[in-house]
Amino acid sequence: MPRVLTLLFVFLLGCRADADPDSVLLWHAYSGAEQDALRESVARIEREQGIKVRLVSVPYEAFADKLTAAIPNGNGPDLFVFAHDRIGHWTANHLIEPLEYYVDDSIANRYAFEAISAMSYEGSLYGLPLAVKSVALFYRTDILKEPPSETNQLFAMNELYTHAWDGYPLVYENTNLYPHALWLHGFGGSLFDKDGQRTSLATPEAVAALTFARKLDRDKVVPGGVDARMVATLFNEGKAAMAISGPWFQNDINDDVPWAVATLPMVSDTGLAAKPFLGVEGILMSSRAKNKDRAFAVLDALTSDDDAVFRAIAAKQIVPNQAAYETSEISKNPALMAFRKQLDSTVPMSASPLMRSVWTPYQNALLKVIDQGDDVADALRSAESEMKSYAEGQQ
Amino acid sequence: MRRNWWHAYALAGLVSVIVATAAFVSYRNAAFERRELGRATHAATSVSKGLRPMDNVVAAYLVSPAVPSEHYEFLRERSVTEADGSHRRLGGKNAGPFDKRIYDAANQYDKSGPFVQLVTDTDYVIAAQPASGGVAVAITTPPKGPEAFPWLVVLGLLVMGSLVCAAGTLVGGSARPLGLALGASGLAVPTFLWSGLVIALFLVACSMLIAWADWRGSLERAGRELRKGGIAYAFLTPTAMAMLVLVGIPFVVGLGLGFYNNNHGEWTFVGLDNFIQILSGDGRSLSDPLNFWFTLGVTVAWTAVNVVLHVSIGVALALVLRQRWLKGRHGFRMLLILPWAIPNYITALIWKGMFQFEYGAINSVLSTVGLDKVNWFSEWSTSFASNVATNTWLGFPFMMVVALGALENIPSDMYEAAEVDGASPWQRFHHITIPHLMPAMLPALALGAIWTFNMFNVIYLVSDGRPGGGTDILVTEAYRWAFERGERYGLAAAYATIIFLILILWTIIGSRLAKKDAE
Repeated sequence: MPRVLTLLFVFLLGCRADADPDSVLLWHAYSGAEQDALRESVARIEREQGIKVRLVSVPYEAFADKLTAAIPNGNGPDLFVFAHDRIGHWTANHLIEPLEYYVDDSIANRYAFEAISAMSYEGSLYGLPLAVKSVALFYRTDILKEPPSETNQLFAMNELYTHAWDGYPLVYENTNLYPHALWLHGFGGSLFDKDGQRTSLATPEAVAALTFARKLDRDKVVPGGVDARMVATLFNEGKAAMAISGPWFQNDINDDVPWAVATLPMVSDTGLAAKPFLGVEGILMSSRAKNKDRAFAVLDALTSDDDAVFRAIAAKQIVPNQAAYETSEISKNPALMAFRKQLDSTVPMSASPLMRSVWTPYQNALLKVIDQGDDVADALRSAESEMKSYAEGQQ
Repeated sequence: MRRNWWHAYALAGLVSVIVATAAFVSYRNAAFERRELGRATHAATSVSKGLRPMDNVVAAYLVSPAVPSEHYEFLRERSVTEADGSHRRLGGKNAGPFDKRIYDAANQYDKSGPFVQLVTDTDYVIAAQPASGGVAVAITTPPKGPEAFPWLVVLGLLVMGSLVCAAGTLVGGSARPLGLALGASGLAVPTFLWSGLVIALFLVACSMLIAWADWRGSLERAGRELRKGGIAYAFLTPTAMAMLVLVGIPFVVGLGLGFYNNNHGEWTFVGLDNFIQILSGDGRSLSDPLNFWFTLGVTVAWTAVNVVLHVSIGVALALVLRQRWLKGRHGFRMLLILPWAIPNYITALIWKGMFQFEYGAINSVLSTVGLDKVNWFSEWSTSFASNVATNTWLGFPFMMVVALGALENIPSDMYEAAEVDGASPWQRFHHITIPHLMPAMLPALALGAIWTFNMFNVIYLVSDGRPGGGTDILVTEAYRWAFERGERYGLAAAYATIIFLILILWTIIGSRLAKKDAE
């Protein structure tokens, strides 16, 4: 019996997930080059500051759900990397820690104003920015000499390929709101009212933008039903001359493909630039972080100017640190500078909790119109009412 | 021969002590919390009046109002007045160990006024009170632990109780249960003082129940039973505990959640509202995919079509594979079981890729033979068919394996006898094969129906509910309410409860049918 008890005891000891209470636990959803860069940065911080940091990679799809489940029970991370658009939702759930105790003007001045402002919500700061993300226009320099400057040129580009089966001028996930938003903004529309408190999905601008997206599909300018993986495949195989995607796409392009990045074209019907969503990825602190002073030391070091320069080169991230763009290594990189230029015409994604209820209904509207050929205004109106019914009991 | 009176008393006493201890601990914690909250509030009030705070105060300061940053509206500083009257900024390089807590407390005061609370994960108590020129914040620790457990009281009452009980036994007859109940109820007196009447009455009721059981002799019988199967119960305990923790508790919590509504982490009791919303269709027309009855119809159709296909294909293949003239049938059998051996989500993703509009394998074949490409997920019928094709691929091997096993067990002399008697192949199939297959196929069919009814992976990964949620089944619908439509966990839990009830109903009907069939 004593032996059984000892075994049981050892087993229970082994079950304790967090063996080292002094380490700072950091969750992230990075993969590939970004993950490698983060690992290297963390190793440097451990060396320089003598703080142990444990990195845990959590799949992106499960990230938010795991956070909401783990933090209130005290099992969550101390720090985590995520985009700013859920901050409103997380503050309502008391999952994240305000940082204005730690951050003063000298730290805030490191970043582009839009980037640090995006990490704030209702008068408090909840994180420091690591990278800014927006889509831009990738094009193959072997197929296309000059990227289009306005959308009318897209429809004349079918002659790039002899028949539709060979390829398309442009590829992007046309039934996903994230890239579609650039047309919405380009037609002068917005997801929210002027005061940003309520959504309005079925505006005339939204109808015009969605009609335009459908025309791109019907005129065989873009292929239908593609997902992110296929965007990369088509672009790599030369079956698409251009792709709309973000900085992460650079790592998906094969080495033998000649490519460049340009800012998105102007929408010919309105004369406005097509403005994509701006997402700011930052490090946030859990409200249940074990040692907040130590966690902030790690957060601060990971978002420093030195680290930003390193990440911009190693992981091809578009960093928000202003000092980084003055270093010669970055100012000589045309892709990074093109994304930097695209940043000036972007629309920051709303951090309101309402934003979360927009994605699925809007996606359904895009599918209905582009895939099934439903009426544009009807589809948007039903997205609006669908969204309202999701938000019921949430208000 | 009656067993010793003290066996029954030991059991009744144990129950009483457990109830009384629980009552004491809850009373003690409440009293402790009241005392400490009061001390912290008092300390903060002293600071606000400019007095020196008392002992056991770890930090107490007068905190200045927040000074906003010039450039950033979301940044602000605070400072505290030290004992010597000087001012010090909270935070920065020379920050004290409690600076962060004091800063946070001042923020909380600005938001919602004076407060006092225990700090989670520590034994600190923090209080904030209004003061001229800012807010007074005090952090205290308890000077001494909470009240000790009153061993003497409990022990004394137990001994007294045992005397009463023994006396009752000596008198005999109906005095025995009376003495036992009375003796074990002694602890009800302090319990009443700690936790009130309800808990004390509960304790008395427990004692009376045990006394009654002892009088009827049920206790003795239960004891004998336990001793007889002792080792078996000991072996069962770990599994029973694991089942309780891993299945029982989540199940009960899940059932309970259905009666609540989640609003950003705040749960409110809404009674049957979630169920009413689901079962009434929430004011949507029957053809709306978000209407429960539409989804239920889709789920039932999905289950029926799949099970019919699984069973008919599985049995047909099993009949072919049984033929001795078939060369390499072991190889075929291996190949046909393969779809079952591959994790189903991988299969689902492969099929999803094959149904892709532009470059999927199926449309490629269609356009090579000169047919139009089909946009599989844009229409309900084709989208549903895509799901069914995927799940049939996944499901028939199981039915085939079960049928093969049953077929092996049919004695071949029955067929020979039937052949001698001149039975046609159809008659042999109808009168020998089918009756022998049935006992094995019915449970497999019931199980297959439950699996299909809840086949989340295929629906979620292949059609993903397209078009517009039309091909969603009940479990994917429940998932979407929980994780894609504003975290309505209560509604999702209600969905899960309804699914559970439907499956229970199905199991009961299924077993009735099987029983009837066996007769």
